[in-house]
Amino acid sequence: MDYTISSVAPIVLLPFFAFVINAFLARKGGKATIAAVFLSCAAIAGSSVYAFRIFKDFVWGNYATNYHIHKFFTWFDLNGGGQEFTVNMGIYIDNMAAVMLLMVTVVATMIHIFSTYYMKDDMHYGRNGRFFVYMSLFTSAMLGLVLSDNLFSVFIFWELMGFCSYSLIGFYYEKEKTGNANVKAFMTTRVGDVFFLLGIVAIWTAIGSVGFVDIYNAVDSGLFTSTKVLGMPLATFAGLCIFMGTIGKSAQFPLNVWLPDAMNGPTPCSALIHAATMVAAGVYLSLRIYPLLEVGELTTFVAYIGGITAFGAATIALVQTDFKAVLAFSTISQLGYMVLGVGVGSYNAAFMHLITHAIFKACLFLSAGSVIHSLHDHHTHQHVQEMPRMGGLRHKMKYTWIAMWCCTLAIAGIPFFSGFVSKDRILGDALVAATHNPVMAVPAALGFLGALLTAFYMCRMMFLAFHGEPRDKEVYDHTHEEKLSWNRNAPLLFLSIFTLGVWFSGSLTGQGLVKVADYKNGKYEWFQTLIEAPKKGNFENYKREAFGNTDSRVKDSFEMTKYDKQHGLSEAEYHHVHKWHVIGAIASIIIAFSGVFIAAMMYLWKKWDPGFWVKTFNRYYRTLQNKYYMDELYIKGMIQGMLLPFNNLLAKLDMGIYDRFVVDGSAVATKFVMKIANWFDNLFVDTIMVDGTGASVKFFNLVLRTFQSGKIQFYFIMIILVLFGYILAL
Amino acid sequence: MSGHSNLLSWILWMPIIGVLGTLLIPRTKETMIRVWSLLNTVITMALTAVLYMKFDQTLPGMQQALTEKYAWIKQFNIFYHLAVDGISLPMILLTALLFFICILSSWTVKKQVKAYFALLLFLQSTVFGVFMAMDFFLFYVYWEVMLIPMFFLIGIWGGENREYAAVKFFLYTFFGSILMLVGMVALYFVTGQGVDSFNILALSGGKFTNTTVEIFGMVLPFAKIFFVALFIGFAIKVPVFPFHTWLPHAHVQAPTAISVILAGVLLKMGTYGFLRIAFPIFPSASVYFADAIAWLGLINVIYGAFCAMAQNDVKKLVAYSSVSHMGFVMLGLAAMTVQGMNGAVLQMFNHGTSTAMMFLLIGILYERSHHRWIVRPDGTKGFGGLYTQLPKYSIVFIIAMFASMGLPGLSGFISEALIFLGIYSKFTTITVLAVIGLLLGAAYLLWMFKRMFFGEVIEECKSYTDMNAREIFYMTPLCIAVIVFGVYPAPLLNMMKASVGKLVSLLATF
Repeated sequence: MDYTISSVAPIVLLPFFAFVINAFLARKGGKATIAAVFLSCAAIAGSSVYAFRIFKDFVWGNYATNYHIHKFFTWFDLNGGGQEFTVNMGIYIDNMAAVMLLMVTVVATMIHIFSTYYMKDDMHYGRNGRFFVYMSLFTSAMLGLVLSDNLFSVFIFWELMGFCSYSLIGFYYEKEKTGNANVKAFMTTRVGDVFFLLGIVAIWTAIGSVGFVDIYNAVDSGLFTSTKVLGMPLATFAGLCIFMGTIGKSAQFPLNVWLPDAMNGPTPCSALIHAATMVAAGVYLSLRIYPLLEVGELTTFVAYIGGITAFGAATIALVQTDFKAVLAFSTISQLGYMVLGVGVGSYNAAFMHLITHAIFKACLFLSAGSVIHSLHDHHTHQHVQEMPRMGGLRHKMKYTWIAMWCCTLAIAGIPFFSGFVSKDRILGDALVAATHNPVMAVPAALGFLGALLTAFYMCRMMFLAFHGEPRDKEVYDHTHEEKLSWNRNAPLLFLSIFTLGVWFSGSLTGQGLVKVADYKNGKYEWFQTLIEAPKKGNFENYKREAFGNTDSRVKDSFEMTKYDKQHGLSEAEYHHVHKWHVIGAIASIIIAFSGVFIAAMMYLWKKWDPGFWVKTFNRYYRTLQNKYYMDELYIKGMIQGMLLPFNNLLAKLDMGIYDRFVVDGSAVATKFVMKIANWFDNLFVDTIMVDGTGASVKFFNLVLRTFQSGKIQFYFIMIILVLFGYILAL
Repeated sequence: MSGHSNLLSWILWMPIIGVLGTLLIPRTKETMIRVWSLLNTVITMALTAVLYMKFDQTLPGMQQALTEKYAWIKQFNIFYHLAVDGISLPMILLTALLFFICILSSWTVKKQVKAYFALLLFLQSTVFGVFMAMDFFLFYVYWEVMLIPMFFLIGIWGGENREYAAVKFFLYTFFGSILMLVGMVALYFVTGQGVDSFNILALSGGKFTNTTVEIFGMVLPFAKIFFVALFIGFAIKVPVFPFHTWLPHAHVQAPTAISVILAGVLLKMGTYGFLRIAFPIFPSASVYFADAIAWLGLINVIYGAFCAMAQNDVKKLVAYSSVSHMGFVMLGLAAMTVQGMNGAVLQMFNHGTSTAMMFLLIGILYERSHHRWIVRPDGTKGFGGLYTQLPKYSIVFIIAMFASMGLPGLSGFISEALIFLGIYSKFTTITVLAVIGLLLGAAYLLWMFKRMFFGEVIEECKSYTDMNAREIFYMTPLCIAVIVFGVYPAPLLNMMKASVGKLVSLLATF
């Protein structure tokens, strides 16, 4: 069978309808809110059924591995009056989207289930309903983004996710702090987003479309290198602009400052939005535009951004004491690894890390939620999330502890766990890239150093929270024993199953558990076979097709793809790559274990004193605690120091000077001219000429009045005199 | 030629019937006056709905079936000439909707109710006149007459400084009108005072490309000189920098309903003037000055946003945001491409709905608080914790705010995206700079929202009540419009695209 838009749409529409209905239902409180919560969960569970069907078709082989579905319809057009312009929307599903869809729906379902536990006794009636309203909208937008066939609709869903993120960070709106955090999150990502929009506009203008298929074809036909924008090739300009979107959304350096503050939202929303899906969407986008990054020669830049972020965030995570803050910085760091993967050309591993990270990080956040929610300070009536007040919790929370350790081992890169498989491959490819291009040695080195720190700070967190003696006895004693429950730890345990590496690679030798290709030789992993960078060959046979057309290209029977053993590489190159991958794998195993070891020495066995390091490197410690002063630089330096004074100056100029003196001044000037005119009028025209006329008339009046005496005799004399005068004159 | 239907006249004169009705009702029966005015706007709205049904979306240019043309002053060839096309129809629909909402929002006006509603309805008629008149003289008359109700509405029902604002508004606009009058008279004489000398449609099409005019002994190109005259006349209304300073004063002093009309409809008359008169009559000069218009639009976008960020008065902040958003319209117009122009007309409509929402919401808040300070001059908070205190109000505010800053899924986004798409091919540098406007647009609104709505409820806000049924009722149509046209803009675009396309095609030949 093949998919049409209407058969795929329910994935997006189910959560969307849940959002629309809940928007009216959720605030009512009581039964209505319970119904709303149930509706949200049911909708996302329904989506995951659809997503699983698509996943099954793509991975277990109704389609050839390079197959994709592309259907579209016209959203609106501007055809008329001799002009033409059409905007299309559509779906584009390839293997990557299929895997992504399954991951998003399953993780979101688990988080929804957990949320029913976490948000159960939130302070106001109907408030937890409001939480689910945004969660449904968010999930719908995220799924829409994954299904999008063009950058424009990616942007639309991208911004909608930003809105949901804004609303959920500001969920506890009575706190002043959340107001700062959500504005910061929205504005920082918006910096990237406006560039993203600019990139879309540039591509649309140059090639007449922003559909992925059209973009890949245009890359092949050389349009992206021949067109120049502001002196650089279009690929560079557009690639950079769109990658700015990734930097903002995936919290990469230098726009990484918003993600730690985003932890002000409820923990399940952090798990879904700020760990598993939305922030990963940035990486997903950069994978979608991967050809642009390559053609535009931006890979080095991307790798540096990724490397710096991966290492920098890991260093900050070393000194955090807040449970969620450690996870927030580790998210930034792990996203940095994905971006590093994109930069070093490790397309497949970057995407795999996206998936594995989404699973273990969602699980970590949910575990953190499970911990924080049950720790209560009875004096302040707040939940406790400071690690110095935890300790020994493994006795109270067995299931959370197990789930969290699975995830910690995964993120630390311990063999047989998913994080090892994906991260090791990124680091191996970084090493290979460094052998080709010495400049890449820096991001590769940063990646390895970051891996050491990751193993250390994650284990530090685990030891501080779950092991040793309880440091705050009161909090510990008030904590209830954790029982197995469907909405508290079942989601955690379910997710932790997928932290095992076998799901993604099988084993170190690359034996796939789920084989889609060449199972006679059994050498290839499903992930590596399915996910590959967009290539021309994938698109030349597939023309765009409009909504409703029947598709004749469905593969009736399973068709094996002819991938050669060496993934298209030459013999020598294959050996070279293989060699460096082995070196990388050994190095990262050693690094991961030493990270765990150091953490254990410091925090579990207490052989080494962490205080010594704090005292010795106090200045660096403070720098790290202040997150390299980036917040200060942006907020105090740029916004409060430059932007606001500039605004105030401009506003004063506008109203105080321009309006007052120039505009009103022209009125005053007019008044002045009027006064002069008035004066001139009074003196010359009025006094001398008009009044003068009057005066002269008066004067003659006076003279004449004497004549008008009313005496007949006088008139008679006058008449005679006049007549006499005439006679004389004649 | 007389038209086949008098629908346009009915729409145009229906508010005047309303005015006469209010004058007949005794001064003391205030509720009756209100209900009558409301009824009147409902009928007008129904008539515009009929107009929408009768409108043939496939036709570029004027709809012959709806045109009305009668001689008015025969000696000077002045006609009572009404017509409608895809550019004016959205504006007419918007006007009808906004006046209906304004009547409802003015329910609480206590001062001289009779005069207020009479003037408001009179204003509606003049606005319709501007959007329907196809005779330049008639257009000018409506353009000028409109100032009279506006002057009194601001000057009598306004805030503390109302007289200053009213006089400023009047003089500013009047200055522009005089330049427009000069342009109109020049056109009248250059066409030989013939039958079509005031006919906007007959004057259109670039007839004056090579005409010259002698001023003070210099031989100058006719089109460029009088394009500039018309441009300034319309630019004051938009308002384009540097003619914008009347707007903050007028908005801050005007009562809520008048602010809504001012931002929602009256500003659009300026850009409508470009689309209807300046561009079609002088296409060569428009193309010649396109760069300048684009730069002015850019200044509007950035400058308005910067100034908005510095405001402590909510209403002034939104007033400056109008300056910024109308800059996007100017950018779209300057692009003269199919995406840019359609985006501009769409933005005129969308800005009308979203800004109307913002001003209505500020009015609703003002009725409770009697001040509009985000931060008072003495540095204390004017509002705080409104989200907790007014949950329904906050949700509507969020919709209005995000529509205004162009969140996808709400109406502002499509128009802004189209405008960017339109200008990019012509002015790449300006596009790159204009995206800063998008960034700042989000910044000042979110910052305002954070300061007013987040945190603990401050003492004086604790007495505020949430939106009542009437307020929810009149906000609903705007919320629906903002969301529906954000998700599916095709109904609006289908209305305008033929007419806009025709104008773009005309401009493309120069």
